[in-house]
Amino acid sequence: MAEEASTQNKIRSGDTVLLRIPNGDTRSVKVEKDLIVSIGRLGSFSSNELIDHHYGLTFEIVGKNLVVLPPQNIQELEETDATNEHIVGDGSVKPVTPEEMAAMKEAGVHVSDIIKKQIDQHTNFELKTEYSKDKYKKKKEAKYAKVFTTIPPTLFNVCEYWYNKDQGRIRDLRIDALSQMLNLANIRPGGRYLVVDDASGLVVSGVLHRMGGQGRVLTICDVETPPAYPVMTQMNFPPEFKSIMASLNWATCQEDYTPIISTWDVEEDQIRSDKQRIRVNKRRAASDFLQSTREDLFAGEFEALVVASEYDPQSILKRLNKYLGGSCNIVIHSPYAQILSDLQVVMRASAEYLSPALSEVWLRRYQILPGRTHPMMNMSGAGGFILHATKVYDDPSAVPVEAHRRLQAKLATETQKSSDIVPSQQEEGDVAMTDAT
Amino acid sequence: MWSTAREIAPGDTVIAWLTRDLIQPLVVTPGKDLNIRFGYYRHDDLVGVPYGSKVGSRNGKGFIHVLRPTPELWTMALPHRTQILYLADIAFITSHLDIKPGSRVVEAGTGSGSFSHSVARSVGKTGHLWSYEFHELRASKAKEEFTRHGLADIVTLTHRNVCKDGFTVESAADAVFLDLPMPWSAIPQAKKALRKDCLTRICCFSPCIEQVQRTVTALNDAGFTEITMYESLVRPHEVDQVPPMRSVDDACEILKKAEQKREDKRLRQIAATRQNLANKRKREGEADLAEEESHHDTASGKRTKTDEIDDIPQEPISLDRNIAGSSEVADSTKPTAKTTVSKAFPEVRGHTSYLTFACLLPASPEVTVDA
Ligand SMILES: C[S@@+](CC[C@H](N)C(=O)[O-])C[C@H]1O[C@@H](n2cnc3c(N)ncnc32)[C@H](O)[C@@H]1O
Repeated sequence: MAEEASTQNKIRSGDTVLLRIPNGDTRSVKVEKDLIVSIGRLGSFSSNELIDHHYGLTFEIVGKNLVVLPPQNIQELEETDATNEHIVGDGSVKPVTPEEMAAMKEAGVHVSDIIKKQIDQHTNFELKTEYSKDKYKKKKEAKYAKVFTTIPPTLFNVCEYWYNKDQGRIRDLRIDALSQMLNLANIRPGGRYLVVDDASGLVVSGVLHRMGGQGRVLTICDVETPPAYPVMTQMNFPPEFKSIMASLNWATCQEDYTPIISTWDVEEDQIRSDKQRIRVNKRRAASDFLQSTREDLFAGEFEALVVASEYDPQSILKRLNKYLGGSCNIVIHSPYAQILSDLQVVMRASAEYLSPALSEVWLRRYQILPGRTHPMMNMSGAGGFILHATKVYDDPSAVPVEAHRRLQAKLATETQKSSDIVPSQQEEGDVAMTDAT
Repeated sequence: MWSTAREIAPGDTVIAWLTRDLIQPLVVTPGKDLNIRFGYYRHDDLVGVPYGSKVGSRNGKGFIHVLRPTPELWTMALPHRTQILYLADIAFITSHLDIKPGSRVVEAGTGSGSFSHSVARSVGKTGHLWSYEFHELRASKAKEEFTRHGLADIVTLTHRNVCKDGFTVESAADAVFLDLPMPWSAIPQAKKALRKDCLTRICCFSPCIEQVQRTVTALNDAGFTEITMYESLVRPHEVDQVPPMRSVDDACEILKKAEQKREDKRLRQIAATRQNLANKRKREGEADLAEEESHHDTASGKRTKTDEIDDIPQEPISLDRNIAGSSEVADSTKPTAKTTVSKAFPEVRGHTSYLTFACLLPASPEVTVDA
């Protein structure tokens, strides 16, 4: 197991790797043996230089090669008496000219020396506070350093990458919301889950990540062939993680619909060529797979339904409700409170759903540099809303305690009128109990 | 972990859901009774019932729902021995520490086991959780619970002071979670417990910013990198159905009607007063022709009267729908369908703790790569 876990922490040929570059941006690159990886201004290098390295390391591009840099820790800044009091404008900065810069780069001068040269030419530099000096150096580093860090393909990092890249495509599903959904849905190795994911496969990725190749996931989608789920690309799942998943679409998941593919069967004696045989076999396999996937769905008793969809959640619930087992968790995400409030009203009117609850997620990141700890100036406002409910089996004969009290009160007044028609309490309870079991 | 069978069996731990705020764990023990505000039940009645069923009480005084336990329900139902972690923090930490099937996790202190149950579920049978608690009674209670919940193979609980004596494992954990008053004092020990052959992670959970600062310094000194800090909250919303909001057009109509009504009344009163005066004058003319001296007085009396008419106390302008006619306006122009609205609960948790994260890179990357 330790062996396995450690190889999963290394970059393999075929991985799609996220790289953080000095300006804070993240790039996604495909690493394939003997192929060249190019990251814009930073330069390019051979994939082989990354393969077998652990995720999380920082590299410097030197020529066409990579050099591993030691881990960087936070530098404690010494307080000085400097304030910004005597700094006048920026006119006194004699920037390094583009020609000088080109010449230095040509001569292979190291970034730190380029930055030093710039600082030397910055007449006000010594007047700056230590904090602004640090900020200045960081800014220059971000501009000139040919350095990047490989980001481990954890659900957290992949979700953050997609959220920053295009939060609309993942339906505002921020990592805090996604994490809560996976926990509320009780995703675990060995479970059986139904997933509706129109968030580019982020939910599916989360579910598969938490199942580790054990259990069963059925996704229902709106396309004919199994959906692409692009988010899965960066997760670099081993094949066995994905093999527990199968997809149906909104037509093929309908019990009274006969998918057209299953009627294409050709009789054995009608097969003329090997080529045709291969085609027929393929088709047959696809048909069998579809059939068994449908049977899997129709067998029901799923442990959770997890939804982040562009379709009306009420229509989804209507279709899939009958396949949910007792005590099943229903977890639905939406960027909009309105959609889930409407759903909540419908669900709470039904005795099949216990305590549908709506909540909004909230997340704040902090800068934690020594002496400079504060919330980040920018925070992401939209992580979406989550509705969670538990599927239950109703017993219409069970009397709520309030109704019981009202009944008692009514009986008490009636007793005063005629005392001989009151049924015994015990009998009443027994009736409810028999129906329940 | 807990039963995955469809029906409840004797010995199962079930969650009795009475109300959203009253959720109780229950070990189904044939022969035992459950007597609560929501009625009287026998445990035998629960045996064979599918998980998720509503069960009516024997005395008709209410019902309960019997649910299959999950770590999330357990967090809501567990007996509190300490402060505990809740869903938002647990979920976020699990993702950030990349806790997944097969992960090996170290945790201190165990406390009430809220976080432990969630981690045990997520790491599964191929993973492991080493949990440490220095309070003897809490340690033994937690150990009992882990055993009862079928977690004995997944969770190893050790009774010890981790700040003084460290952890029982070395270079073994993928992740460490510290929920201690002084997490910084356990960081060197935590580093020892973490694997050195791959990237590993740590999270410290502290309510105060001063604790965070000391922790960050300790993490930095111990060689941890990528130090980040977050705060994660949930804002529960209440959903309501309200009548559609009224248009200011209604208010305008009502105001106009009220004004008109008041004006009509004033005019009526003026007319009535005039009539009275005329009648009076007529009577006076007939009855008292002789007393012409007093005419002046009567004239001044008349002026006083007119002033009074102008001072008719104003009826307050009201938007009350019960003003005759106004409710008709509102009802005829508005559909009767209600609008669904939602808003955050008036009182919500505003802070739990700060979550400080950091990474530990493999000891000597160059060497590891060459090997
Ligand atoms: C707030 S509780 C942990 C709650 C837990 N995370 C949960 O979710 O239920 C903190 C626990 O740490 C224990 N503790 C404090 N210092 C400790 C130490 N040095 N070694 C071991 N346990 C310690 C306390 O006894 C307490 O039970």
